[in-house]
Amino acid sequence: MLVDLTEDQRDCYQEITNVAMGQAADRLARLLNVYVILPIPKVNMISASELHMALAGANTSDDVSAVCQGFIGSGIAGEALLVFNDASFADLAQLMKYKGPLDRHGELELLMDVSSVLIGACLHGIGEQLELHFNQGHPVVLGQHCHVDDLVKSGNHQWSQTLAIEIHYEIENLNINCDLLLLFTEDSVAKINQQVDYLLD
Amino acid sequence: MALPVLICDDSSFARKQMKRALPDGWDVEVTFAGNGLEGVEAIRQGKGEVVFLDLTMPEMDGYGVLEAIRKEDLPAMVIVVSGDIQPDAQERVKKLGAMAFVKKPIDKTKAAQILTEFGILSDV
Repeated sequence: MLVDLTEDQRDCYQEITNVAMGQAADRLARLLNVYVILPIPKVNMISASELHMALAGANTSDDVSAVCQGFIGSGIAGEALLVFNDASFADLAQLMKYKGPLDRHGELELLMDVSSVLIGACLHGIGEQLELHFNQGHPVVLGQHCHVDDLVKSGNHQWSQTLAIEIHYEIENLNINCDLLLLFTEDSVAKINQQVDYLLD
Repeated sequence: MALPVLICDDSSFARKQMKRALPDGWDVEVTFAGNGLEGVEAIRQGKGEVVFLDLTMPEMDGYGVLEAIRKEDLPAMVIVVSGDIQPDAQERVKKLGAMAFVKKPIDKTKAAQILTEFGILSDV
């Protein structure tokens, strides 16, 4: 059976995410000396088939590179997925004063650096507000220079629906953009909703 | 007379959180606004001598509200309460005339501290 979030729960998730992504953006802004544009995050219960739409909506038909990182703690588990538009790497390399050749290895290094900042700060921020502590697994590269379609195909989805938080980051005046998708496992939804309800009380 | 305080944020959870963070026993008349346009309208009606303002909002964002206050020379002391805490955001709102900048999530300690610092709250 499909359960949906109440309006209050959705609003609360959005606000918590807003604060967490603000902390992550602040880290990135101070690291790179830029201003990160922060839109309102999207929070939805989605089915496995809708994951494709969430990703496709997040990114265009351009080639992408993606990293995923599992997290677990306080009875809640999930995956953070960072999808980078490949067109971003040139500007990113310049910003991060990357001196080596911008080949696959170079791009990978940049991808890992940015994802550790964004994923780490965002999870920490959400955990802090919900009084949860998440441990992060090792980041895994899902693909480089591939299409969003390929990313989704490579996943083996055992779940029917899940809580998805989508965050789009863009750097002002530069051609850098990426999408961070936080997916919680189906079993975690009840527990994390409980934490949210506690805050709403 | 109760002090007119406006809480302007698009999230109802954030508005509640803000209201809960106000000092106990502070004699205020609280008005809520869900976006910048509603916020400016409330300030025009004298409902926001002290304004707690979010930055990221639909219709009109916090920057827009600060610009409108300045343009119309409205009597409002604005405390920006924001999730966007980048150095640039803090600088921009100060330039636009905000009195203070507080990081979200707000709590009672932070609220009391800022209100005391600016002499809005003396003896409660």
